[in-house]
Amino acid sequence: MAEQPYKRPPITEAVIAIGFGAAMEPGDLNRADSSFAKLYPQHQDARNLNLEFIMPDRPNLAPGTKIRHDVPGHRRSSDDQTQIVIVWPTSFVFSQLAPYPGWDDFFGRFVRDWALWKKVVGYRSISRVGVRYINRIDIPITGNLTHYEEFLNIYPRLPEELGSIFAYAIQTQLPFPEIEGRITINSSSIPSPLLEHASFMFDQDLYKENNIPQNDDGLYNLLNQIHVKKNAVFEACITDRARELFNT
Amino acid sequence: MTGIIIQSRRSPIALRAGIAPELEPAFSSETKRLASQVDALFRHQRSPTSLEQELLPGKTISERLFDALASAKVLTASVAMHLDRARRDKLFQQLDSLHDLAEWEEGDEPLQQSSFGTFLKAMLTVHPQRQPGLGLSHAGHLIGAWTIDRDHLTIEFLPNDWVRWVLTRYKDNEPRRFAGQTPVSELTEGLAPHRPEHWFSYEGRQRQESPR
Repeated sequence: MAEQPYKRPPITEAVIAIGFGAAMEPGDLNRADSSFAKLYPQHQDARNLNLEFIMPDRPNLAPGTKIRHDVPGHRRSSDDQTQIVIVWPTSFVFSQLAPYPGWDDFFGRFVRDWALWKKVVGYRSISRVGVRYINRIDIPITGNLTHYEEFLNIYPRLPEELGSIFAYAIQTQLPFPEIEGRITINSSSIPSPLLEHASFMFDQDLYKENNIPQNDDGLYNLLNQIHVKKNAVFEACITDRARELFNT
Repeated sequence: MTGIIIQSRRSPIALRAGIAPELEPAFSSETKRLASQVDALFRHQRSPTSLEQELLPGKTISERLFDALASAKVLTASVAMHLDRARRDKLFQQLDSLHDLAEWEEGDEPLQQSSFGTFLKAMLTVHPQRQPGLGLSHAGHLIGAWTIDRDHLTIEFLPNDWVRWVLTRYKDNEPRRFAGQTPVSELTEGLAPHRPEHWFSYEGRQRQESPR
């Protein structure tokens, strides 16, 4: 199978996220961050805020808010902002924005960074492995209606009587039996960043949360299995007309 | 076939199931729970590594320049599949140069993301062969300039998909000046009477230079 089947892959973001069973100490977190400084010179503090909104039981009272967790982390990126790592106390997130260089490059960078991460913080029990690919399919507009059904095989089915729609969003969860994992697919119409186009998001989150391999060979094998499945799901969810768009 | 109705520029549809606060007491807790679950579905669309900048008044100019540049580069990445590498690299060099801390004038605004979004839409529609020189207005709007001899075309990319343009063309050694302000979707139409290929294409320039 050709590694890069499309001239202009519609992938806007590819992410590998490794979750850990226990949180890192702040000292380890900072050392892990520093170890990436040469590869990813741009640094920003990252915060993962979980806000709890408390709705009052009477309409004349204002809603309250409470910060439940405020987890500090580090976000590092290349100068052009397309290659990103985020170091959180309980996860290592590795990302590539468009232009997507293909799995071989992306995975090769992950292997390099994973080795560096482990060298600095040592072995951590892995509790979750996830791969997420976000695609945006930009369809040129030729009239007042865009027939997304000609480009996508995943969309909401509506009775004919309802006619055309303004927007949609769907979410589907399905099993991923080859790895005893799951796939979450989000797809929706979204505002297009281009003029004279209608855009549709296709977002796959493939993950495994139990019996995670703990050694490198097992982890890399799992990621490659996820990659193969990701491609198969994507190809099943688009049509030849969409493929033409990625090759023009 | 169902099809989706293309929205006009001014009426984007926000997908949400949330219940307006004044209607909250009218709905059961089960309905509210369902509505919040549907809203969570739409929130899930956010990218896992998205860069959401904090608008803190205490940020230093260096931090603000970094934020503006990073946001512009991330926005460029979102359309990178429609840009060739050389064009993207040149654009980033121009943006880096515009946000050079050593040259920064106090009181100026860094590039506004909304202005840059308008710029990208214009460039990906017009596809000029000749790339513009770039500048920034005091308000942080990107300005693109094309010059051929004494003829100038300057476009200010305003927030929310508007553009303001000014051009000067010489005829019989006398300048002719024109200006307009339109939605970016009407930029091509607005410039059409003034033969914009004169600035945008190498061929346009060659035609201009060739003897008649």
